[in-house]
Amino acid sequence: MDQLTWTGSAGTVLLPVIQIAVLALALALVAKLIFVLAGLDGPGLPGPDGAATSRAPGAFASLGIRISFFAALAAALLILAAGAVMPTPVEAGILGSMAVRFWPVWLALAATFILSIRFRRRLGLYGKLFDSNVGMIGFAIVMFWVFTAIFADAIITQDPLAQLSGLKNKVPGIAAPESPFGWYLLGGDHLARDVFSRMVMGAREVLKIAPAATLFAFMVGITLGLPAGYFGGRLDTFISFLANLVLAFPVILLFYLLVTPEIRVTGIPIVLAAILFVFPIVFLCVLWNSRYYTDPMKRNLYVGITLVIGLWAYSGLAFNMDPLGVWSMEPNMLNVFVSVVFVNSPGVFRIVRGLVMDIKARDYVAAGQTRGEGSWYIMLWEILPNARGPLIVDFCLRIGYTTILLGTLGFFGLGVSPDSPDWGSTIDDGRKLLNLFPHPALAPALALMSLVLGLNLLADGLREESLKD
Amino acid sequence: MTASDIASETWDPSKPILEIEHLSISFFTRLREIPAVMDFSCTVMPGEAMGLVGESGCGKSTVALAVMRELGKTGRIVAGSMKFKGRDLATMSDEELRHIRGSEIAMIYQEPMASLNPAMKVGAQLAEVPMLHSGMSKDDAWKLARQIVADVRLPDPDRIINAYPHQLSGGQHQRIVIAMALMAKPALLILDEPTTALDVTVEAGIVDLVKELGKKYGTSMLFISHNLGLIMDVCDRICVMYSGEAVETGNVTQVFDKMRHPYTQALFRSIPLPGADKNARPLISIPGNFPLPHERPKGCNFGPRCDYFQKGRCDEIDVPMSHVPGDDRHDSRCLRWQEVDWDAPLAKREVKQKAEIGKVVLKMDDLRKYYSVSTGAFGGGTSKVVKANETLSFEAREGETLAIVGESGCGKSTFAKVLMGLETATSGSIMLFDENVQSTPIQKRNTDTVSQVQMVFQNPFDTLNPSMTVGRQIIRALEIFHYGKSDADRQDRMLELLDLVKLPRAFADRMPRQLSGGQKQRVGIARAFAGGAKVVVADEPVSALDVSVQAAVTDLLMDIQRENRTTLLFISHDLSIVRYLADRVMVMYLGHVVEMGTTDEVFSPPYHPYTEALLSAVPIADTKVIRKRIVLEGDIPSAVNPPPGCPFQTRCRWKSQVPGGLCDREVPPVQMLEGGHQIKCHLSAEVLATMEPVIKIAAE
Repeated sequence: MDQLTWTGSAGTVLLPVIQIAVLALALALVAKLIFVLAGLDGPGLPGPDGAATSRAPGAFASLGIRISFFAALAAALLILAAGAVMPTPVEAGILGSMAVRFWPVWLALAATFILSIRFRRRLGLYGKLFDSNVGMIGFAIVMFWVFTAIFADAIITQDPLAQLSGLKNKVPGIAAPESPFGWYLLGGDHLARDVFSRMVMGAREVLKIAPAATLFAFMVGITLGLPAGYFGGRLDTFISFLANLVLAFPVILLFYLLVTPEIRVTGIPIVLAAILFVFPIVFLCVLWNSRYYTDPMKRNLYVGITLVIGLWAYSGLAFNMDPLGVWSMEPNMLNVFVSVVFVNSPGVFRIVRGLVMDIKARDYVAAGQTRGEGSWYIMLWEILPNARGPLIVDFCLRIGYTTILLGTLGFFGLGVSPDSPDWGSTIDDGRKLLNLFPHPALAPALALMSLVLGLNLLADGLREESLKD
Repeated sequence: MTASDIASETWDPSKPILEIEHLSISFFTRLREIPAVMDFSCTVMPGEAMGLVGESGCGKSTVALAVMRELGKTGRIVAGSMKFKGRDLATMSDEELRHIRGSEIAMIYQEPMASLNPAMKVGAQLAEVPMLHSGMSKDDAWKLARQIVADVRLPDPDRIINAYPHQLSGGQHQRIVIAMALMAKPALLILDEPTTALDVTVEAGIVDLVKELGKKYGTSMLFISHNLGLIMDVCDRICVMYSGEAVETGNVTQVFDKMRHPYTQALFRSIPLPGADKNARPLISIPGNFPLPHERPKGCNFGPRCDYFQKGRCDEIDVPMSHVPGDDRHDSRCLRWQEVDWDAPLAKREVKQKAEIGKVVLKMDDLRKYYSVSTGAFGGGTSKVVKANETLSFEAREGETLAIVGESGCGKSTFAKVLMGLETATSGSIMLFDENVQSTPIQKRNTDTVSQVQMVFQNPFDTLNPSMTVGRQIIRALEIFHYGKSDADRQDRMLELLDLVKLPRAFADRMPRQLSGGQKQRVGIARAFAGGAKVVVADEPVSALDVSVQAAVTDLLMDIQRENRTTLLFISHDLSIVRYLADRVMVMYLGHVVEMGTTDEVFSPPYHPYTEALLSAVPIADTKVIRKRIVLEGDIPSAVNPPPGCPFQTRCRWKSQVPGGLCDREVPPVQMLEGGHQIKCHLSAEVLATMEPVIKIAAE
């Protein structure tokens, strides 16, 4: 079997197109820069009758930038699309073949976007996201990785842990006759495993933990931040002091401490988990109780369901003592999870506290107080929903930070099993031979970068859209 | 020499200083073009003050911004011209505009706190203006700044110019902003609601100052306000705007006495003037709602709300301005103004029965509320006591409206909080239906007590939770008051409450942002009455609403009160509306009740000196009313550091009439005059008897 080229047979035509387009783009950018510096780029002020005045030369440069950029983008997309219709991986090339492997992701993305855009006027803030280009791009990137994580089993070309002889550190596109797919699309790593499959599986590892950890951090931060901001006084001073203490401690050092086996023996992570995992249950119980205490039937139902499921999960996750064995977390994972929640919650706490202090001065809060509402009802049902805008944005950004944090942890070899395909440890593995074989480290690094970038763009889009109207 | 210098030299002072002709302004959004101002014309002669009046959203501020050419990215002048000293502002380049802004046209904004740079000394900010525009040296500029600060009658100008903005009060801020506008001796001054954020007595001082400075410097003014009374005080000419169009323009007295547009007439009928009475002569609100800019009706914009509307005529063509002959530049945008009988008496309206006043439901006795404020960073330092309420005693009866009048910092909000149970009183007693509640916080009160005392809030945009539907919020109030047995019961009751406040039932599923200010306030009222409230504290419920909506909301409150025999505690600083609806009035100043009595007693002499000043400060939009001008010096003292003796002694003009400096030493006793009229003042009964009425209605 032949080695795969990057672009396959379509590339012979399209590669020169891309080259020309990129060259044109560079020229147009330089021209634009010169025009701007020369002052030939004044914004065409509309005359009093509303008609635009004649175009400045800078405007033509801008047009050039736009045309060449879209030409390059179109050619690149064509390569991917061409790969999809080519009969064999050899003709499709590496990029084309990868595009084919991701087919469930494309389908899911298309379905999501078509449905969302169709019904966007009825979907609130989520629907408004589709009015912003930045938000849509961010959402697309994030959902790409989410779907990749979901459909990872169908996408990978072989078992991410399997090692095939003779493929150690081989370049992308190398033929692998023993592999079920026949090629290593992104080459082999230092243990002769498939980089592509590991990257895809890594998405699952990362996305399994980052959003959940962020969600827990939010529960903790909100549960503490609401009363601190609402009541103020000594309680606020005390909790804020604790939060500052955690924030002031070097994060990496904290991680080292929490994840080292010696500390683990002392049981500190278990205690921390026991404390932190209580918060979501408390949060939900208070949420239901404050709202439905006037209707005990409903209240008992909701609180009961929460307690049953919550305590069941709690016993499994925190102490690994689930009688039915459904909920469990391996000790390594638990450590990482707890430490990520622990260092993230003070940040959330501070944001929530600030928002509450602002919102509690509103008249609708006073109206709640004057009709005798309990403090928790006012905090959870009057204040919290109106703080949701900044919190959603922060949530997206924070998943990004958490992802990087997990990558960092993996890079230091903390908290995950040595052969785990998560992106951080894969980058660490590839680091040692980076000068000779960059591809094993590059693939997960680009994946990590694109996910975080997507989350940031998504947060930007959400912020932009939530400010409108 | 720049182009602007040449132009101002060649300009003939007998010509108009600002001539706006057929100006149209639109804002361009992603969805559509939104016309904000259509076919607007007005002329301002040198030394003349032109008032622009209209409800929010009518485009008056847009006109002002257009004159400054600050319409932002989306706003654009689509037609017409604006000639300033004969040169068209609409086609001027940025460079020329920069020369004109601040030096020839100056603008004063609504929010004085936001108009000054908090990081710069006041003097430096003032001196910047002549240094920038006429290249004056720094020393000269500071000297000029000091002189102008003295001109705007700020005490101790040397201290003021070296102060930072946060060291000054709101009234002083606005004076500084005016001083800044005057630094370059502009030919035209644009004032956009310059006193809306200030208290009435402070407002009176500013208004006097603006008028006087206008005369002294010969500055022309474009004065924007929603307050007709203020316009009458300040301006020579008026232009009434409605939904982006000028509907009537002319001399102030002519427009006020001889209005020739139905909107102007409706506006005057909806504001409480002396003589209006809630039972015998109620206010007439304008039916319907203000049209959205992109949903304006065909033909006359005011047509759908107009009493004189004629189908097939008023909704056919765009109505042009037509001249009212015999008057000085008096125009009206009405097709039928010659046919309408403008002096026709109001149609007979049903005279409503005065609600009967029953037994005492609320009795406060010697109530005090003190706060302690610590100044140290770590809880140490000296702690001060703020006396928010001092010796508050009064009764309120069933079915009665008791108005509580006072300016910011007088303790009226603290009083409301104590009554509601959000705070507990320091001493004294509150008897609510024979139950002592002064030291019972709201958490410990039983549901009945809580549901019987409810509150209507001031800011309509803040009173409803923006992320809950209207119906849900009312149902929540019903739930918390244990109303009904099932969700269906409460749903029905919620719909009834919507009927009660005259809102369509479909509003139950709306979010608050889909409602207008007046509609939100109605929902707030419905929510307050959800538990069958017997005592309702209304904290300036209509002051943030437009005048035409104010009347409707006030009437609604009165109707519900009549039906439910509710006791209404109406907190307000607006004496016109208080005179209109209150049975009894309580005037507060710095935590003290300075005067209390029936509405007639309080509004006629003898007055407490503060009440006298307050009455004279409120502008009244009626040319037949003659008002004595009493302008109080200075600002309201801070409650943290109140003056010794009588709280009002620092600003009182009668102080010299009290022998022996008693005012400086002792808090005055409460004098009981006939009929239960109380005045807290050292003035002897003889002096009080010599007081003249502040407001006189001239014989017709």
